[in-house]
Amino acid sequence: MISKSLIFAILNAALATGADYAEIFYEDTDSEALKLDNGIEEPAAINKSNGLGLYLVKGVETAYGYTADLSKKSLLSLAENLAGRFSGERLFTVTSIEKKSHRTVTKTTDPVIEVPLEEKLAFLKRMNDGAKDYDPRLIRIVVRIASSTSTRYVVGASSETAFLSKDVVSRARFSAMAIAKDGEDVETGYAAPGITGGWGYLTEHFDPYEVGKKAAKKAVVMLGAKECPSGRYPVVIGNGFGGVLFHESCGHPLEASATAKGLSVFSDSIGKQIASPLVSAFDDGTIPGAYGTNNIDDEGHETQRNQLIKDGICVGFLVDPVNGRRINTESNGASRRESYQYQPTSRMSNTFIDNGKDNPEDIIKDTKLGLYIPDFGGGSVSPATGEFNFSATEAYIIRDGVISEPVKGCTLIGRGAEVLLNIDRVGNDLEIAPGTCGASSGMIPVCVGQPTIRIKEITVGGRGGKLE
Amino acid sequence: MKYQEFFEIAKEKGLTSAQIILSRSKATTIVSFNKSIDKYKIADDQTVIASGIYEGRYGSCTTDHLEKSTFPWLVDQIIKAAKTNGQESKIDFFEGSPKYAKKNVFKKELALKTPAEAIADLASLEEMARAKDDRITDFMAEYMYAEDYRELYNSKGLNLRNKSNYYLYAASAFANDGENKKSWDSLIWGNDLATFSKEKMVNEVIDGLFKQFGAAPCKSGQYPTVLSHDVFSNFVEVMVGSADAESIQKESSFLVGKLREKVASSKITISERPLDKNQLFTSFDAEGVARQNRDIIKKGILQTYLYNRETALKEGVETTGNAAYRGGKIATAYTNLVVKPSKKSFEEMIAPIKEGVYITTIQGLGTGMNETNGDFSCQATGYMIRDGKLAEPLTLITLGGNVLKMFETIKDIDSKREFLPQGIVCPDVYIKSMSIGGK
Repeated sequence: MISKSLIFAILNAALATGADYAEIFYEDTDSEALKLDNGIEEPAAINKSNGLGLYLVKGVETAYGYTADLSKKSLLSLAENLAGRFSGERLFTVTSIEKKSHRTVTKTTDPVIEVPLEEKLAFLKRMNDGAKDYDPRLIRIVVRIASSTSTRYVVGASSETAFLSKDVVSRARFSAMAIAKDGEDVETGYAAPGITGGWGYLTEHFDPYEVGKKAAKKAVVMLGAKECPSGRYPVVIGNGFGGVLFHESCGHPLEASATAKGLSVFSDSIGKQIASPLVSAFDDGTIPGAYGTNNIDDEGHETQRNQLIKDGICVGFLVDPVNGRRINTESNGASRRESYQYQPTSRMSNTFIDNGKDNPEDIIKDTKLGLYIPDFGGGSVSPATGEFNFSATEAYIIRDGVISEPVKGCTLIGRGAEVLLNIDRVGNDLEIAPGTCGASSGMIPVCVGQPTIRIKEITVGGRGGKLE
Repeated sequence: MKYQEFFEIAKEKGLTSAQIILSRSKATTIVSFNKSIDKYKIADDQTVIASGIYEGRYGSCTTDHLEKSTFPWLVDQIIKAAKTNGQESKIDFFEGSPKYAKKNVFKKELALKTPAEAIADLASLEEMARAKDDRITDFMAEYMYAEDYRELYNSKGLNLRNKSNYYLYAASAFANDGENKKSWDSLIWGNDLATFSKEKMVNEVIDGLFKQFGAAPCKSGQYPTVLSHDVFSNFVEVMVGSADAESIQKESSFLVGKLREKVASSKITISERPLDKNQLFTSFDAEGVARQNRDIIKKGILQTYLYNRETALKEGVETTGNAAYRGGKIATAYTNLVVKPSKKSFEEMIAPIKEGVYITTIQGLGTGMNETNGDFSCQATGYMIRDGKLAEPLTLITLGGNVLKMFETIKDIDSKREFLPQGIVCPDVYIKSMSIGGK
């Protein structure tokens, strides 16, 4: 971290023209990725990122700058240039810094990045074997483990006494990608668990052989799959990563970065019904071990469990301090960024639809003709229109209450506001699954989640004609 | 040589060769939203890629610092990475090409615009748009000015550098059609400010926005389909990216076995033009090999795969100078793709279509594309084409197909040649038939 005297100098230079808040974000992150491609070790990808971001706020207007040049000259120049954005009188001078304590929901004593390479390579070989042993039609298997430890300091000043928050977070994500080929048919399967925590937690909760096998199974199952039918019909979405539907269709439009400017379909929805009464949903940055968990957010405030929807009624947004000013709402530990190179804003952490009462088997059994999607590749949304899309990586037709033939090339599209109201069954098998979410403040680790749910009708895109 | 001390430490610690690539980018971005400044950002990015050969194996690391104090750490990380490499390197670092193109693409005049002038530009974009149509509910505009520097040094004595700068203006307008919020964007970037017209940008945004009012899905089915140049550019990227030689050698691309075969309609010629005189000009790749302009697909025939020196060696061919650093190793990338246009106007191209679909935006191709087999499905918006003319707007439809089949069944292309944000120049295309999901 830079010296205390330089912190004062930067903050006070930045505040010279009337900003009412100045914030230093200092980051030192080490990351590493190891990979086997068809069993052969590839050179490790090693990165060190160390820089500083400076954030100024005046009312709801902001200025942000960053640099990796941590010399006094460079940092003071950055502060002065950013201060040039505003014109006014200094409101206060920072004279002291108080350390802010926070409760700990995640603490790692055995970061994956510090584990000997041989142990991690052995882990990857197990993952590779899990895929390879599954089926001889696999032509390529790529397994990878990526880990990082990030130390982040936030010094925020809205008065003469600034606060200082510090946290260290370690994460790991490991993945298997399998490509299967049969004649001209080539299909890909993918599995990628992730954690916030260390090597002990990871090896206790995951068997690499099973992760490799899962990816291989997905690729093999899709060999020979017919094209997905298109049209509007019932879709049952499996638990875990199926929650990407809620993440895209509802989570993003509930971020204050969209709602506060009136640019979200849910901007005026607090207290209104936006989902089926069967739906309650949360964003919880405090789940131990989950990939989107943090002790503090990227503006130095404790993360929280925030309820977004209660029995179908919108009860809250995800709020960062600046957008909180726009809508006169307290921030709720949801301000995040990928690195010092990004201005923070309201983002999700671990977002999920809560358990309902239905047995998942009954949801399938009660569906005469429809689609079952246990896994998605991902999706995207326009928060302004609420229009979203998701691509399935594994899907099956449901016939007379039974999961039948696999189909490929399925895309679900719709408007969040419409789809959430169309959920007519919610299971009791909630699971969360990791992902990487991209938006204006960069790519950040998150979890999505849900129990098995059914949407009574949604638009499905595919090349297989009509569902019959 | 610059960074001599790094090379000396590398040698002392047992590296037989070493290389440094230093990229620096400085940018100012200003975003206005509804008449106030929403974002003001000053970015100073530095990326260092240090690599070397240790005990016959390649290793590398990246960081954002290149001070003397970091040199020993960089070398240690290269050694650590090399030790994880399961394969001996068959090539050493590059000694240099006989000749490198030289072009000055750094335009000093771009740097003269002050933030206050840029803010005034953004305000006038909004004023002009709101004056033209008072149904606009929200308006966002963006200005960016960036300078990029790239240098490469290696222990073979290679010393190369590129410098460029560019500006960007973008505008987004929002309105409500009574049922749903709609938005439309326009963006231009380049290194010649004369190409920026506020009037043109405002007209594009307003035209695109209000034409969508009342949009609805069409009936699902197979339709003759026209892709806007913007939409088509996404598929051009997939097609060219699939020509990566490593993916071909590992049987992970739909272009396996297609070299010098027909992969597109004879109307399609795609070239890579890194030496064109624009902000994307680059004279060397990540191995220090001189870049060249070349055809990748000529009249529908795939002319080459994209090679770095290692993948080229495997096949006994010359590298195409497409080396790029990715994820701890040398992979490939492309710069500035140009799809040759025809002389036909858009109106002439769609005139024969009795009933078809014109796609103007797509979403979700990143996750909806299976890059191994080329199958894709994504969300789309656009217009019906009826009796050769654009008709009612469409939304919440899906576009599905296979990239190879799509390129092979291109019936016609038009004369458009706009420079798109991802560095592609391409026309609108008319495809015989594609699968559209809707009602």
